[in-house]
Amino acid sequence: MKDTIKKSRPVWLSKFLFLLSILGPGLITASADNDAPGIATYSVAGATYGYKLIWVILVITIGEVVILEMAARMGAVTGKGTADLIRERFGVKISTLAMLLLIIANLATTVAQFAGVAAAGELFGISRYISVPIAAVVMTFIVLKAEYKYVERVLLVLCLASLSYVVAVFTVKPDWAAIGQAIIRPQIELTGDFLVTMLAVIGTTITPWAIYYLQASVADRGVDMKEYRYTRLDVSFGSAWGNVISAFILIVTAATLYVNGVAVNDAKDAALALQPLAGEASSILFSVGLLGASLLAVSVLPLSTTYAFCEAYGFERGLNRKVKEAPVFYGMLIAIMAISSLVVLIPNAPLFQMMILSQTLNAMLLPVLLILVLKLANSKEIMGKYTNSKLTNILAIGITLLILVVTIALFFEPLLNKIF
Amino acid sequence: MIYLSNLLNQKVWDAFGHVVGQVEDILVSHTDQAMPPIDAILLKKNNSDVRLIKGELIATLWPTIALSVDQRELSDYQPHGHELHLKKRVLDQQIVDTEGKRLVRVNDVVIARKNQQFLVTGVDVGIRGLLRRLGLDTAAKFLAKTFNFKLTSQIIAWEDVASIEHDDPLRLKVSQERLVQMEPVDIAAILDDLDHHTSKALLQGFDDEILADTLEQSSFEVQQAILAAMDPERAADVLEEMDPDEAADLLADLDDERSEQLLSLMEDEDEIEIRQLLAYPENSAGGIMTTEFAWVPGDFNVEQALTHLRTSEEAKEDEFMYYLYILGNDEKLEGVVSLRDLVTAPLDKSLQDWADDDVVHVEPLTHQNETAYLVAKYDLMAIPVIDPESHKMLGIVTVDDALDTVLPTAWKKRIPRFAGK
Repeated sequence: MKDTIKKSRPVWLSKFLFLLSILGPGLITASADNDAPGIATYSVAGATYGYKLIWVILVITIGEVVILEMAARMGAVTGKGTADLIRERFGVKISTLAMLLLIIANLATTVAQFAGVAAAGELFGISRYISVPIAAVVMTFIVLKAEYKYVERVLLVLCLASLSYVVAVFTVKPDWAAIGQAIIRPQIELTGDFLVTMLAVIGTTITPWAIYYLQASVADRGVDMKEYRYTRLDVSFGSAWGNVISAFILIVTAATLYVNGVAVNDAKDAALALQPLAGEASSILFSVGLLGASLLAVSVLPLSTTYAFCEAYGFERGLNRKVKEAPVFYGMLIAIMAISSLVVLIPNAPLFQMMILSQTLNAMLLPVLLILVLKLANSKEIMGKYTNSKLTNILAIGITLLILVVTIALFFEPLLNKIF
Repeated sequence: MIYLSNLLNQKVWDAFGHVVGQVEDILVSHTDQAMPPIDAILLKKNNSDVRLIKGELIATLWPTIALSVDQRELSDYQPHGHELHLKKRVLDQQIVDTEGKRLVRVNDVVIARKNQQFLVTGVDVGIRGLLRRLGLDTAAKFLAKTFNFKLTSQIIAWEDVASIEHDDPLRLKVSQERLVQMEPVDIAAILDDLDHHTSKALLQGFDDEILADTLEQSSFEVQQAILAAMDPERAADVLEEMDPDEAADLLADLDDERSEQLLSLMEDEDEIEIRQLLAYPENSAGGIMTTEFAWVPGDFNVEQALTHLRTSEEAKEDEFMYYLYILGNDEKLEGVVSLRDLVTAPLDKSLQDWADDDVVHVEPLTHQNETAYLVAKYDLMAIPVIDPESHKMLGIVTVDDALDTVLPTAWKKRIPRFAGK
């Protein structure tokens, strides 16, 4: 009876499968950089300011890697979520502040996802009063039934449409010299519009929900510090990859729309950027990408918000609970879905502006969370020997300061303009 | 009732009205008691000086904290290292409510006075405690009065609370003793919600049998985390205690090297059983059957059968005993009798009378769905699994395992907590 009954796999295959099982949260989190508000933000940034904002993408790629790495490391060391740690370390008041900011940011972002659904539909003349309610009901159902596995795969495939920007770069022949210039000599315009767009680019890349979501899923997978290097690889690779695509969206729109002086006010304008590549099919390509990205985010965002909230306050949570056992959990999940889809249905709500402003708001709310995360990741009591390195601290503090400075500049922009 | 949150950072006065310091934390040591007394107050003076004051010197806690002696006569408390810091280790942390069988977060700690002692009586886990911490207590009371609804506090008695922190072995033991009083399925549900480090630490202290029962009810992630944390010998012992079909399921999901190692460490008898089960596909009757069932030879009478069930070791191990199977030579199934019929029958009746060639049964490769269908159709508690060639009885599929496909009792095992998990 000593013979092996189980079929044994070759060693390299088990190693590869193990790697695949660890890779994941980082990649998903980073793909979500290019959700509907992401695509809208980069399109508008490229169409309005040409290559001017490309250096910001470079800077925040570093920022995103550093910040998400901290979150992943905290998840691996403690096995707990961000909301858990904040509550246990800082008490009720601070954690309520953090929760409030998270809920505001995530509500705004979920609104933006439904705006993405609406914009995708309107490209084909489908009224938002049809597309948004259907999306909201179907996605609520899917989330409650926890049928992600298949749905998520389908949505990830739809998201591949954003790869068309990578291909498009070679057909639109961008001015590489100008791009190089824009990176070497970063420029800031002291105008409200520019600062809002710049914050939106930051806010759509480094999001509070990505931090909470990543830490929770690393903790949930039970990644320990032995396997952590794979997770770090996943996070770094995922972030870099997400931002490469972001940069390409910006470059393509700059090379097509900015050059020809086309402003982006809605999805129809933004889709024009893909015309040199896809011709008539460009609006199909654009709306498929937008729809996939929005729905993918809707399947994750409200749920992770709800989990974080229930974690912080100790409400019963989980889709395996009955509604009666976890009323707060289910109530909040459904409320987020309902409120955010209803906001989009306000007559004549400007979809693209909503998407961009939601990301600007995200960025403005981010520093509070970053400061808390920095404190946690530097605490010996929590992290043991895995506290932040000096370099991590310098970079993370740098990003936090950058966001703060730009936010302050935005509020004092009229004043600053008088001085300079 | 006195709340910990009302005491923290408050000034402490001596008997003559001098300020001795501010409350930084409160310590208790007899956490195993239903209402442990406060042993010491950690005082902070000028933000740097800290000292421990004996709890017995407290004269009042509310509305002001006053000591019964002059500040010059204060005697320091000598810590022995097993004290529980209420602020640092309980407030805002998660704990297990063993009465409500759930994981909750502590919004406040409740302290009461009894005779000359101050005792920790419970923890507040409700919204009201949360509002008090946020300083919204008065506002909430006002709103409650205006709109005429009741604000109820959710306070759990200290004896129904198991703290899950695991850095002190003595206190961990108290928690484990309280946890063990819950059903394995409830323990498993709580472990699923906890982080892996904590669930590992909590489970280590359980004895093999309870650990096995809990593992059977746990999700694969928890099972893996716990098995990985144990040394292989212990893990093998625990696997032996589990139902063979559950143990086989668990081993099938582990990587080959690890499951081989564990199998070889198990006792031969258990190892062979599990290897047989592992050979069958997961969705077949063989994959979900258990090899433990009660049986007697056909020449027994009722009295002998009952004596056998009472005394034999094998029968004792059988956790699912609704039927007694009558086996002939070569372990061939000759008949079956329900426990009810057995108990109500005259003692001298021969079991042969129940012999029936036509017992409803399945083969090891029968699909799980077909098995479930037969179990439901004939209203069975268990269905025997028979080898088609040798006609040997291999095991039984119990109703709960059979119906798992249709109505998964362990459905929570399959739902990811997050997308992407």
